[in-house]
Amino acid sequence: MARRRAKSSDLTKNSEETLLWAGLATSGVVSLVVIASLALAPIVSIGPDEGNRAPDFVADAYNGGAWYEFRMSDIWDWDWDGNSSESKWILIQFIDTDCPYCWEEGDEMSQYHSQWKDRVTFVTVNVHLNIPNHDSSKSEIEAFRDRTSFGTDDNDGDGCNSGRDNCLNRPGTPHQWTYVDDPSNSIFSQWELSGTPFTAILQPDGIVAWNKLKHQGQGGDGEEMSSALQRLVGDS
Amino acid sequence: MSVLSLELGIFIVGVLGASALLQKNRHEAGSEGTRGTIIAGLVFTTVGIVASGWTWSIHNSLMKSGSSSMCASEGLVQCGSVIGDPQWNNLFGVPWGVIGIASFAVIFFFLMTLYLDQNAKRVPQFVNYLWYLGIAGLPFVAWLVVIELLLVEGAPHICPYCTVIHLSMIGVFASSYVMRERRANSTW
Repeated sequence: MARRRAKSSDLTKNSEETLLWAGLATSGVVSLVVIASLALAPIVSIGPDEGNRAPDFVADAYNGGAWYEFRMSDIWDWDWDGNSSESKWILIQFIDTDCPYCWEEGDEMSQYHSQWKDRVTFVTVNVHLNIPNHDSSKSEIEAFRDRTSFGTDDNDGDGCNSGRDNCLNRPGTPHQWTYVDDPSNSIFSQWELSGTPFTAILQPDGIVAWNKLKHQGQGGDGEEMSSALQRLVGDS
Repeated sequence: MSVLSLELGIFIVGVLGASALLQKNRHEAGSEGTRGTIIAGLVFTTVGIVASGWTWSIHNSLMKSGSSSMCASEGLVQCGSVIGDPQWNNLFGVPWGVIGIASFAVIFFFLMTLYLDQNAKRVPQFVNYLWYLGIAGLPFVAWLVVIELLLVEGAPHICPYCTVIHLSMIGVFASSYVMRERRANSTW
């Protein structure tokens, strides 16, 4: 039996109705899938705003002994019930080892850590701002954290604080918490930041509880981080 | 939790069924063969859309609670470490599941248009579009397999739902190849 063979010349006029029905069928299938997917697990708001889940990340981190792979969500207590004082809050700080303000904040952070270390886990993320004399390296991050010798005290671009100081002279004590390296500034971007230093306080389950820019930025209530820690975490 | 769950079984049956249908109709000349080829493409695409939605749900579930009851979270064959990896589970912040739904939706539209009218003048053009979309999808499949096997934390891992989606994309590519072949051989 001869089969019908359609050649280009056999093709008939386009029908707009076909496109309409195909569009409707596609919309129907996609809508069903999207509705079912969202019913199974609603979207979680992720971002730097208070009330959102903090952006998660995986990056190289230094704990004073060695560099290792650090995943932010590994320190979250997903089962935190909102009251338990067993779980630790999280203070995330963004710095650039060459940023003068971050250099000065070193002492303040030492004091906060001394006061809150039993209730709060500190994490510092070192970003690499695209500014002259802000070239950073893992060795510089180690020296900044540990307050060890790196560079000189001459303004020669070598060392911390825009290359003005030997990292050994950073204000404050050696920082006894995790430092994360963000060489591509991807974590910095996820937090929608434009500069350093920046700090935020997270609930133990990773929800942003206090964002510095929301309080100390334009239109904010001016609440300082120490007051926020007192308000959120309670007595140290 | 067992790796082979009911929904995974359904997805696998869908992919296998579509593959069998494509094979059966590949050399079947005429409109019946063409229709079968298009239906095979539609089945691949539907499995791709639904499985993408499933992985999106897993993604949202992992973002909310750090775990998901919809997939295994330990072992070589699992999805927790793949879909839950913040570094690799998205493209410019968009979950891969959402990208999958959108991509397969475009393919579904072209296939459905062909299915509804196999003799419209737009057929050669739409067959070409499907072919280009099929080709465009393959590098993404390759990249996602590299991510699973080499890049995610604790690699290698194989996410079975992701694999179903990859196979669906390859199935779409194969279907579009057969459709082009049918056009070239005048067996459409």
